[in-house]
Amino acid sequence: MAAKEFSVYMAGVGGQGLVLLSNVMGSACASAGIRALTGEQHGLSQRSGSINVHMRIGEEIQSPLIPIGGADAILALEALEALRYVEYLRPGGVVLMNSRVQHPVIETKEHMRDKTATYMSADEVQKMMAEVTDKIAVLDALGIANKAGNPLTENVVMLGAISTLEDFPIPIDPLKKSITENVPAKAVDANLKAFDMGKQAAYDILCDIVKCRK
Amino acid sequence: MFGGRSILRCPIQWPIHAGISSDSVAVKGAFDTGATDLLKEGPGKAFLLCNEAIVRGALEADVKVVSCYPGSPTTEILDTFSDISPKFDYKMEISANEKVALETCAGAAMVGLRSFSSMKSVGMNVASDSMFSLSYTGVKGGMVVVVADDPHAHSSQTEQDGRPFGPNAYVPMLEPSYPDEARRMVKRAFEISEKHGTPVIIRTTTRVNHQSGIVELGKMQRVPFKRLAWNHPPGRFVTVAESARKFKAALLARTARMQEEFDTSDMNLVKDTGSELGIITCGAGYNYSVDAARILGITPSILKLGTTYPLPRKLIADFIKRIKTVVIVEELQPYLELHVTAIAKDANPGLKIIGKWTGHFSESLEYNPNIVVDALSKVSGIKAPVNYGAILAKAIELKKGLPDRPPTFCPGCPHRATLHAVLDATRGMKHILSTDIGCYSMSYLQPLEYGDSLLSMGACLGVAAGMQYAAEEKVIAMIGDSTFWHAGMPGLVNAIHHGDDLTLIILDNEVTAMTGQQPDPGRDYNAGGKPAKPLILEKVIRAMGIDDITIVDPYQVRTAVVPIREALTRKGPNVIISRRACALYADRNKRHRGEVIGTNKVDKEVCKRPYSCIRSFHCPAISIDDADRKAFITRELCDRCDVCAKLCPYGSIKPREGE
Repeated sequence: MAAKEFSVYMAGVGGQGLVLLSNVMGSACASAGIRALTGEQHGLSQRSGSINVHMRIGEEIQSPLIPIGGADAILALEALEALRYVEYLRPGGVVLMNSRVQHPVIETKEHMRDKTATYMSADEVQKMMAEVTDKIAVLDALGIANKAGNPLTENVVMLGAISTLEDFPIPIDPLKKSITENVPAKAVDANLKAFDMGKQAAYDILCDIVKCRK
Repeated sequence: MFGGRSILRCPIQWPIHAGISSDSVAVKGAFDTGATDLLKEGPGKAFLLCNEAIVRGALEADVKVVSCYPGSPTTEILDTFSDISPKFDYKMEISANEKVALETCAGAAMVGLRSFSSMKSVGMNVASDSMFSLSYTGVKGGMVVVVADDPHAHSSQTEQDGRPFGPNAYVPMLEPSYPDEARRMVKRAFEISEKHGTPVIIRTTTRVNHQSGIVELGKMQRVPFKRLAWNHPPGRFVTVAESARKFKAALLARTARMQEEFDTSDMNLVKDTGSELGIITCGAGYNYSVDAARILGITPSILKLGTTYPLPRKLIADFIKRIKTVVIVEELQPYLELHVTAIAKDANPGLKIIGKWTGHFSESLEYNPNIVVDALSKVSGIKAPVNYGAILAKAIELKKGLPDRPPTFCPGCPHRATLHAVLDATRGMKHILSTDIGCYSMSYLQPLEYGDSLLSMGACLGVAAGMQYAAEEKVIAMIGDSTFWHAGMPGLVNAIHHGDDLTLIILDNEVTAMTGQQPDPGRDYNAGGKPAKPLILEKVIRAMGIDDITIVDPYQVRTAVVPIREALTRKGPNVIISRRACALYADRNKRHRGEVIGTNKVDKEVCKRPYSCIRSFHCPAISIDDADRKAFITRELCDRCDVCAKLCPYGSIKPREGE
């Protein structure tokens, strides 16, 4: 099956399960006969460091790294990390962003010294991102994950959200199958629920600004 | 939330690395996800990390002995081999260091079995002493060593280029660009190794190892493990003096034969488009070259070299005869550029060679599609369709005020507590900290910025020895347990023998934490969970000749200060062992036992904002509430190590219960 090319830049904080998110997408591609590749980040930037994964889908793509201005979407599991990689978004590309902010320790260190300082917020990030695209959706992925029954399903909420895009080339069924195969048996229900709730949330806030699947 | 691709362990790693998943990811046990696909019988397709594809290639080649030491970007090779080992009959060990790992493979291959090792670039530095000799003696069974460079020094102390090991040691070197090619090359490498009786290096870089893609699964035709009889004349693998001179002549002849073979090998790919512009590239450079040409809409001829030693000189000569300009796309040193320049002298003296020497590329940092687009754009005169400069300028403007997020110690990390206690204990004490390779290396980064020197695995002791000769200050050396076993012991032997006045702090967190908590010689198990004899640090050190050993628990962050201070004021050499399991490792074990990991909270009625829980501690779970400037603990991040609770003078940090 020849899929349309699609590159998504995934960002987050070490420990959020980003690499596994790309692995589930990749496995879904393998079972659907779609060519996919990723550039992943392992190593030093693990826990609590900034993490990114380049996910690329398309028959002709060879580079695991997305060029500047080459991402059709940024999928950010943490708000600040969406802004950190903004140069990868193609002009007018889609931003799917978790509203959760994890404050870096060096920002907290500054706040200890400067009593007037406030943390950078998801709203501020959204305002910045709005200068390069009008297609931004902010989700409370943690809240949705909690409603789905498991706070650790934040990443699957975001996966459900991006799966609504008309341009997203992986069909829903292989994605769900891949989730089922990849999560612990006892967590399958919560994860599938998180996926559907993420999808619904995206339909509510994203689909009047971006073309979504029917 | 997904079960891990690298099953038995969580991530975190450094000059070395490992898996994935946070410890918040539920673990399903071995053979989930990637590993399941990895084990499927071919033919078929799977989405695999290149490091998993390398394992798959070795399994398809019926590897019999595997021996590695973890190191990013190769660690998932070791982890995958370890995780699946109960399913197979290959012998596997996680060795004390890379040199031992390589020698273990050498011994097995001398007997006649196929053996495999993987190591990062700097690991080969340690192993290379034996590698050079092994190239002389040769092997009988196939022996393949993956050596991974780390351009950009993502998780390494240098940006070393491993390709000169090929010509320097006369060891053939293959270089894949993507996962499926890596799988095929590993199989070919075993065949070349046995045909020519030489170890073979597979050279990779971070962006090749840490690339996932669709991999074709071949047949796994495995023969049951069987020991072989030693079937060699005396001295067969002894290289010294006269035998070394004989081996040298033989290996030169062997290299010439391989060079001829590689001239027609399908591991070197020629895409001849008839263009006057050509690209010669290898490894990750190929991936960026293909995409850069697509972005610009040009169709240069491409020679992708898969055999980077010996280089296929005739193939290169034929390629450059047909073009007028060649762009050399290779990271780090101008290795191909040097050889292409030499070959062009006869083959095409008028050839325009674009590379590092013309200033189009740098020897520093890793490449990406944009770097190659820029160079090809300059050479071809075709403008990129996107104004990259404008996008980057806008991004820089938008990111003003965005706080950095460098890697830091995990919530619950015992190193954070040890460093707090050491900083307390050394207040007013002028000292130099000679540190080493491991998670604790991060202390030199923000926010602590503590640490004065770091060279290589085990170097803290030798460096400290020199410092105590030369410096006026107290000298402290700091090393982790795994790094101590790896290369720290000779440094301590030296310090004891010479009576050096230094204090060694060993951070014993029970595992090789940075790479994903692999067992080290202090554990009672090894690869695949099989039983192993644990070595006890203090027993070993006492036997070496030091009686002044102080053992503290870093979680007792207050009571540990006095013993540490007292030890530091005594004449060295003496040792402090700060012992507490890596938090990720401990949490995983707790979860296996079904124990709940609690979290703490700040009682805001009690908090008087002394920030004792933040100052010199800097846990990612603790921030300051913008509303009342009081400390705030993020429930999802707290590990409940209780160290911050011990630091608070008002007792405001309490268990979160019933929430």
